[in-house]
Amino acid sequence: MTLTSSLLLTPLATALLVLLVPGNYRFVIRSLSLLGGLVTAILGVVLFFRFDPAGAPYQFESVVNWISSPTLRVQYHVGVDGIGAAMLLVTALVGFSALAVSWEIERQTKLFHVLLLVMIGGALGAFASLDLFFFYFFNELALVPTFIMIGVWGTGENRNRAAFKITMYLTAGAMVGLIGLIGLYGAAGAGSLDLVELQKQVALKPISPAAQAFIFPCLLFGFGTLVGLWPFHTWAPQGYASAPTATAMMHAGILKKAGLFVILRAALPLMPEGVRFWMPILAVLCVGNLLHCGFVALRQKDLNLLIGNSSLAHMGFAFLGIASVSVIGLTGAVLVMVSHALLAALSFALSGWLRIQTGTTDMVRMGGLLQRMPFIGSVMVLCFMAGCGVPGFANFAGELSVLFGAWKTMPWLVVAAAWGGLVIGGVYMLRALRLVLHGDLKSDMKGVIDAPGMWRRLPFVILAGGLLLFGIFPRLVTTRIQPSIQRIAEAARPVGPSEASPTTALVVP
Amino acid sequence: MDANVVEQAAVAGAKYHDLAWMVLATPLVCGVGSWFLARRLRGLTAGFNIAGVLLSFLLGVVLLSISGDHPVLATPFHWLPVPGLDFTIGLQVDRLSALMSLVVTGVGALVMIYSTGYMHEDASYSRFFCTLSLFVFSMLGIVLADNLVMLFVFWELVGVSSYLLIGFWHGRPAAGDAAKKAFLTNRLGDFGFMLGILVVWASTGTVSLTELSAKFAVEPGLMGSMAGIAGLLVFLGAMGKSAQFPLHVWLTDAMEGPTPVSALIHAATMVAAGVYMLCRVFFLYTVPAGWPAYLGFMGDVGAGTIIGMIGGFTALLAALIAVQQNDIKRILAYSTLSQLGYMVMAVGLGAQAGTPASGMFHLVTHAFFKAMLFLGAGSVIHACHHEQDIWKMGGLRKRMPITFWTFLIGTAALAGLPPFSGFYSKDEILVTALETCPPLFVVAVVVAILTTFYMSRLVLVAFFGEARSESASHAHESPRSMTWPLLVLAVPSIGIAWLPLGEFIGSIFGGHGHGHGEVVKEGSVVGLGPLLTRISDGINHTLFGPFNHNTLAATFGLFAVLLGGSLAWACYGRGGADPLPRLLGGWARVLRNRFYLDEIYSGLVIPLHDAAAWVADWIDRWLIAGLGIRGLAGSVELVGRALRLVQSGNLQTYTFVFAAGLAVVAWFILR
Repeated sequence: MTLTSSLLLTPLATALLVLLVPGNYRFVIRSLSLLGGLVTAILGVVLFFRFDPAGAPYQFESVVNWISSPTLRVQYHVGVDGIGAAMLLVTALVGFSALAVSWEIERQTKLFHVLLLVMIGGALGAFASLDLFFFYFFNELALVPTFIMIGVWGTGENRNRAAFKITMYLTAGAMVGLIGLIGLYGAAGAGSLDLVELQKQVALKPISPAAQAFIFPCLLFGFGTLVGLWPFHTWAPQGYASAPTATAMMHAGILKKAGLFVILRAALPLMPEGVRFWMPILAVLCVGNLLHCGFVALRQKDLNLLIGNSSLAHMGFAFLGIASVSVIGLTGAVLVMVSHALLAALSFALSGWLRIQTGTTDMVRMGGLLQRMPFIGSVMVLCFMAGCGVPGFANFAGELSVLFGAWKTMPWLVVAAAWGGLVIGGVYMLRALRLVLHGDLKSDMKGVIDAPGMWRRLPFVILAGGLLLFGIFPRLVTTRIQPSIQRIAEAARPVGPSEASPTTALVVP
Repeated sequence: MDANVVEQAAVAGAKYHDLAWMVLATPLVCGVGSWFLARRLRGLTAGFNIAGVLLSFLLGVVLLSISGDHPVLATPFHWLPVPGLDFTIGLQVDRLSALMSLVVTGVGALVMIYSTGYMHEDASYSRFFCTLSLFVFSMLGIVLADNLVMLFVFWELVGVSSYLLIGFWHGRPAAGDAAKKAFLTNRLGDFGFMLGILVVWASTGTVSLTELSAKFAVEPGLMGSMAGIAGLLVFLGAMGKSAQFPLHVWLTDAMEGPTPVSALIHAATMVAAGVYMLCRVFFLYTVPAGWPAYLGFMGDVGAGTIIGMIGGFTALLAALIAVQQNDIKRILAYSTLSQLGYMVMAVGLGAQAGTPASGMFHLVTHAFFKAMLFLGAGSVIHACHHEQDIWKMGGLRKRMPITFWTFLIGTAALAGLPPFSGFYSKDEILVTALETCPPLFVVAVVVAILTTFYMSRLVLVAFFGEARSESASHAHESPRSMTWPLLVLAVPSIGIAWLPLGEFIGSIFGGHGHGHGEVVKEGSVVGLGPLLTRISDGINHTLFGPFNHNTLAATFGLFAVLLGGSLAWACYGRGGADPLPRLLGGWARVLRNRFYLDEIYSGLVIPLHDAAAWVADWIDRWLIAGLGIRGLAGSVELVGRALRLVQSGNLQTYTFVFAAGLAVVAWFILR
């Protein structure tokens, strides 16, 4: 079994094992899941560092035939390029962290852990799949537990409504995406939804412009809804505000990126006509994410709603990078995907800790918590600083590349709006820090405690450490994703005038 | 460039680039290392951090001594390599950056030593030192950066460390507010800075400082019509960090941080970073003025001139406000603002003169005496049990002699009294203004009068007369760890300008600089008489150079000091209450309330951004979620509702829809 398969099967197998444990053996359930998560995380790290950017385009491949009728071939085909390797790494890390913070779940512990493990396995499968059918299957496999978890373990009085809303939106989005995929299958004529075969087929005979005009928006808006593309975004903040911590971490951090992932890998390189028509429109919509969601975040008093809106604003950067269709911009988009996975997970983990300790997510009711929580407070400062684009964290590297990538191909106003979105980000992030950490300790908050001991702190350390690591060495990611990004950019913009004149190198003598 | 020279530079580079990296890395390693290894051992942590900055200082001395005419580039670290774009972290050591690194580490080390006394009782002693080290590291990054993006990276990191240090006492609501305000105001400036970098990159294809200056040297009109915009956008960054009007409001609030922080960051180094950056990218301002068509009315007014005017205005505004402040740290903060305005004005006007040397010269002298003044203020505050109102001090001259005398030296230097260092650098600014823009020269002289006036007021009220409060009457001299740094800083405050510093800085920018006039000729005659002549020539040249060089400017400078001083003596020499409110009437209140600028800002900015947020929220809630999406997705929701009637619970609904999807696939296969 290749590394990729073992990586994605580990959590799923762990889920099966956990199913066998009696429900009241909480400790066994916890340890078993954590062990599974740990193995997954280690495998993710190994896979990432063993991925060879100079090697084959897709590595650690394995293929199992499933349906092989002459008209439809569906294969379990997994393998990674650089983008996949990076996403698998963060998925494994976030998955382990999500398991690690799930000690708070006391009701139906077993079911929760099974669902969480399935979610992790599904997400890993989505990023590893080279067959779009299986991508879709794994993505759904990860989404279903989300809805159940919000419904059963969610918090807040709106949780049923939030669960309903998120289900409807994501289902509708996924359906539209599915229509696009089916259209792609029909139009490409490869007899399969295998990415490698699709690419070969499209290189021989491009998809007709009429078909692209229909399929491209289906993929863009269908999967865009899963990411929270403006104006199909209103499910996200409420959904996250009601979700249990681990679910919010996994969904905001990881599952959202699956939409971007498929747009980046399928829609862009296969349909240059669609790119040419839709990307300027996407550039406008992403300003909606960047500025509109930023302004909405300004008004939030609830920490989770704030994080949810800010994560939508960050998705605007990923969309802008994609819309620029330049090597620099696309690199930036992937960096944003990687870094935001860690950032969103860390934010929700922190807010989860605060909620358990203070019993609220209303920031106005908190205050002065840094006095009681030096560790959590410091990580929160790090995290929110990363969130408003401070250098040293991975997000800045991504946002910087997006800005530079978009500057040459997009109207300057869009770039200015994007960077303005980060300035607004500074306003609400710092306001949150001010409200939660600074000032006097409220009298009803005397009992709060900091994360005790190494084990409780581990998830925070992993996620914050990842942000720092990729912030200081973004080239760990960029060198690995470069071949695929270049392939995508060339395919998406075959005769792009602005890409044809290569941007002057910035190399210092 | 002579091939031989290039070769030599390369050899020197190979030899010394590790050294440059060590200058940068030592504070970081010591700061982070001591935090993780020794933060429970307070003394050790402090010692470790001080040693790191001192080591960095010593290495900087070596760097300065070896840095020649040509910049030495340290091997870059490929931070973010993308095809078509290679962001590197590399160091450019030349005389400008080596000199500035010495100012940063020199003042930094003294402030840290001082802090061992000042912060002695603080529970977060270790955190304080480690954050200071982080600041020194970030600041050195700005100083040594070899390209604009790296400069920006460290620029932001300086903002972060400043945020952490202003909000150091996080339990105080005011400190939290001030930290937030400082960071956000700086962010607003950085908004322009980043766009400026993008404009420069788009029109030149590089962000490397050496490449840029080489390109501009060959083709000054490279930026074409974007020259003015790029210059002003980059200046926006400096406007934030160096607190120029209208982004000046954060600096005085930043005084909520511990006083050593105010001395190091908000007086000597961070706020000077804007001026330094302008000197570093000075080539952007010497290019021919160019504006896009819609700004055609600007004609040949360059960005430099606008910068000069903003600087002059800030200097005047802040000096006026300082006249009626009563908090000792706030007076010093407004004086910092005013002096920064001076420097920015000098650099902006320098664009016409071809050299920003006078601004940079003032930056160096100001760093020392202003740091000393702040540390002196800290010593006073420490002695008076955290009393900061000068009207509750008084008579400290006798009780705190060392603090008093060093404070007096700092005041003399700030006011620009010869032969203290401030006189010489201020004189160069006056000369620059006189030669390029006489109206701003008048402003500069008025500011000089005001400066002397408010500083004399501060000294007369706080140190002379009788003690005005209980705490002031029990004040006693601060511990030696606090007085020693004061004494050490007094030396450069008095005499750093006696060194040929002006000529040195002038030579950095290739121009002749103004210097102190004629260089003393080597006398070859041996004997007592010629020796005496040489000594007297030397003294004459060193001390009275400005009068020989540009008599008008120097005379006005001296006149300003005398006028301001005597006015202050007339008002405050005899003790008693402040006579100005009576003399100025309503104007005194306007000045005391800082022209109501803070109120105007909070009256404008806060409702504005609240309104924007409210509108966005409303759109989200009602238009998108309410009408748009529900209208569009109404059918989906109807289906959902219908399904809920059949099935109960979301899982089933969901699987049903998923199964429907599968059915569609099946239909496709079997078609």
